[in-house]
Amino acid sequence: MSHDMMMAIAILLPVVAAILVYLIPDYRTRGGLVILTAVILILNSLAQLRQGPFNYTPAGTGWGEAIKWIDFLMLFFFIYAAVARRSLLILIFTLTQLFPLLYWEFVLRAHVEVEPAFMVDHLSIVMTLIISIIGSLICVFGVKYITDHEHHLNRQKSRQSTFHFWMIIFLGAMNGLVFANNLYWLYFFWEVTTLCSYMLIGHDLTKEALANATRAYWMNSIGGTTFVFAIIYLYANGGSEALSLQKLIAGGHSAEIILLPLALLCFTGFTKAAQMPFQSWLLGAMVAPTPVSALLHSSTMVKAGVYLVVRLAPAFSPSNLGQLGTLFGELVALCGSFTFLGASLLAISQTTGKRVLAYSTIANLGLIIACAGINTPLSIAAAILLIIFHAISKAMLFLSAGTIEHIIWSREIDDMEALAEKAPLTTLITGIGILSMFLPPFGMLLSKWMAIEAATSVSNAAMSNRFLAPFLIAMLVIIAGLFVVASAATVVFWSKWLGRLLEVVPRIERRYEKVSPGYFVPLWILLVGIFAFGLLISPVYHNFVQLAVNNASQGIANVSSQVLTDGGFVTIESVRSFPGAPYSAGIMPLGFYPVWILFVLLAMALAVPFFIVSVKQKELRPVYLCGENCGDVDTECYMTAAEQKTKMTIGGLYLQKLFGEAALNPTMNLIAISLLIIFIGIILGVTLR
Amino acid sequence: MSMDSQYSMTGQILNIILVVGALIVAPLLGGFLSGVDRVLTARFQGRKGPPVWQPFYDFLKLLGKERIATSKMQLIWMYAYLMLMVTSLLFLLLRQDMLLIVFILGFAGVCLALGGFSTKSPFSHFGANRELLQMLAYEPILLLLAIAMFVNNGTFMVWRIFEKDVPPLLISMWPIFIAFLIIITIKLRKSPFDFATSHHAHQELVKGLTTEYSGPFYALFQLAEWYELVLLLGIVTLFWAHPIWIGIVIALVVFLLEIVIDNISARMTVGWMLKLTWALGLFLCISNIAYLYFKRGVF
Repeated sequence: MSHDMMMAIAILLPVVAAILVYLIPDYRTRGGLVILTAVILILNSLAQLRQGPFNYTPAGTGWGEAIKWIDFLMLFFFIYAAVARRSLLILIFTLTQLFPLLYWEFVLRAHVEVEPAFMVDHLSIVMTLIISIIGSLICVFGVKYITDHEHHLNRQKSRQSTFHFWMIIFLGAMNGLVFANNLYWLYFFWEVTTLCSYMLIGHDLTKEALANATRAYWMNSIGGTTFVFAIIYLYANGGSEALSLQKLIAGGHSAEIILLPLALLCFTGFTKAAQMPFQSWLLGAMVAPTPVSALLHSSTMVKAGVYLVVRLAPAFSPSNLGQLGTLFGELVALCGSFTFLGASLLAISQTTGKRVLAYSTIANLGLIIACAGINTPLSIAAAILLIIFHAISKAMLFLSAGTIEHIIWSREIDDMEALAEKAPLTTLITGIGILSMFLPPFGMLLSKWMAIEAATSVSNAAMSNRFLAPFLIAMLVIIAGLFVVASAATVVFWSKWLGRLLEVVPRIERRYEKVSPGYFVPLWILLVGIFAFGLLISPVYHNFVQLAVNNASQGIANVSSQVLTDGGFVTIESVRSFPGAPYSAGIMPLGFYPVWILFVLLAMALAVPFFIVSVKQKELRPVYLCGENCGDVDTECYMTAAEQKTKMTIGGLYLQKLFGEAALNPTMNLIAISLLIIFIGIILGVTLR
Repeated sequence: MSMDSQYSMTGQILNIILVVGALIVAPLLGGFLSGVDRVLTARFQGRKGPPVWQPFYDFLKLLGKERIATSKMQLIWMYAYLMLMVTSLLFLLLRQDMLLIVFILGFAGVCLALGGFSTKSPFSHFGANRELLQMLAYEPILLLLAIAMFVNNGTFMVWRIFEKDVPPLLISMWPIFIAFLIIITIKLRKSPFDFATSHHAHQELVKGLTTEYSGPFYALFQLAEWYELVLLLGIVTLFWAHPIWIGIVIALVVFLLEIVIDNISARMTVGWMLKLTWALGLFLCISNIAYLYFKRGVF
């Protein structure tokens, strides 16, 4: 396939397909078209994987102009939206983008010509695989879901076609975003994803949905604004050339020119990745139909935020900027790891399944950003592994949550009790999804293990500065501290939720639920994906991650360690030699993670007992209720002091006073805002010096 | 053991024999130690107490009891708990990655809690929730212990500690050692931290997350606890790895200290535990790690 073809399918095909889907009124034809688009996108992304990296600039000059005018059109649409919704915030943050852009366009008379316009490298290939495969699966899941959803809400007027339209456009915009080399084009795609999320979050048109869509828009527009400023700053100081991502990453610009725009772009990434204090837009996005949440959380939107930070990592590496780079990176890591902690603690207090998922996403994005900030090849590898594994597991969990919602028609965790009896298959999938988020041997934990090893094995010649070194060390230790507490909090909220699903009463008749293949097919594919990617870590690492790491960490010097994967073993080896130590060639393993052995152990610990242990009906007993059980059979019932038969209920532990939003949010947001101010402030100070 | 001999054939075989032997001996040692615990505790309380071998008699008696349960999943998680506890001891004996050992130990804790959740019993839910809060308290300290070992030794691999050129960890890591003492008390579910379940019945807790386990399944829990005891004392010995007998003496002293603490303190609240470990424990660990970084000078 030619390069033209591939790029057209990745970016333009979704647009065409979306328009067709919008126009087709028939449920079956529309569903078929969504599935067809999904298949083509998946095949195309695989073809891109086979093809490997290339640079690409579309022929003809019209593209740049078109992008410019569509961009202005979008901004004018938002001015209309601001008036229609009577939202001052939308207006403000649209104008903060519009005026600078108008100034840039018509006063500075910007003439942007960046060669190449698109770059396809290994990092963007990993991203497009995630977007095309996982995103498409979610769109397919959406076909059946949205029908049931409207049926349940008793909608008079169907808005299914609008829903599919924005879902599919989203995929195209994301593909454009990860391929763009021209920063202005990247900004354009960035804005399209913001528009899509605005439309999708507000899809149900309820008051709450519209309010949350508004918030999502204005928060993301703060990031859009800083993006515009970064572009104008780069253009004013370095000309059109400076807007090439490739050039930005390769270094060569002086620190004064790129430090500030880099900080602004990282900030933009933070807003889109819903880092604290911007977490509320992603939480609000939960009002949308579940496939939207799945899409926003796993393969699109928030992943664009972390993609940008990971992509920019080489630009602020110590080899590019020296000690300033270390400082920059650690500040980014501090912001990320703080969000990791804050979101993990807040997740403990959440009573709704989807909100737990949302906080967990925010936490993991924080971890990814922290890894990008630590900025060693090892930490970048951890970041990319996290992006991949998080996308798979989270997509599966959201789709499971959607399936559960359509079984019990509730999102509350407490309502999910005994789901293991009511819907064993869904529970099995959800359970594996939950376990895969935080326990060995699954990929997420492997990545977290790698992240912690990376965080502590920072190697830096730049540490020689006597003045700065104590601060850098202190920051590093604080980051490690934030990591470990957050990691422990993660264990608590996942276990609590899984425990609730498993809480069963003996002698309830078990029956296998009937779930439409429209739900189960994407779920089973993702389930296979979790195990396949977990087990085949070695080829996955070699074929995706290692190459992408090279892309995202080119020029990072002071390499202290490297990852070696061999079959089922992952070893982190020190590159430094240890004189006097009895190692062959002075090379010492820093860490060792035997993936396959751990999978075997998992099978022995859980799967084998699952099939071997059998409990006979006569061995089942009611639980201990101080001897006040109503009888031997109905164990949910007990006698109160007044000899009344009462149904037992067990509430969950949510620790609202300790970790509730009301208790933590003010402090957490204050610290997060201070961190951002410190970050931007220090960089501004250094630039103006 | 150096890298070369670890990968040689005879070294491997020797290792495997050693490890299999240790896995068989570990529960015997753990059971014996808990017998000692019972005798000493009885003496503290002015009783004569059971014979030292009582835990083994109890264990055999439990195995012979009738099988009853409240749900199937409950039993599966208990098997998993035992399996993972053994695994994490195995990884320690093989001198593997400390961070991974902590994660596997965490998985074991999760299995125990899930076992408690897997049945609709208020008491076992109570205990399971508290078990999770205990994990929230001790997991960070254990992870920081692994990180400190890394900063001190330059690797997460435990076998590095046993090399001649590494000075005993206790000298430079004594603050973390103190934090670890608190963690052991929590992990052994001894006073003042006997929240999730305990050896004595408590009024509001009954037997916490083990309330719904009985007979042979409760025996599994006992067995896992013995492994856990050996694992924790094994980590203590790492603080003085050569000559190893000093480490073992330290571990025994720590064990006696735990018994004393158990007997002289009352139960506290879960909130107090979190405050103690997060304030004091994290402070000790983080300042210790910062010190280790400075001592090393360059990264």
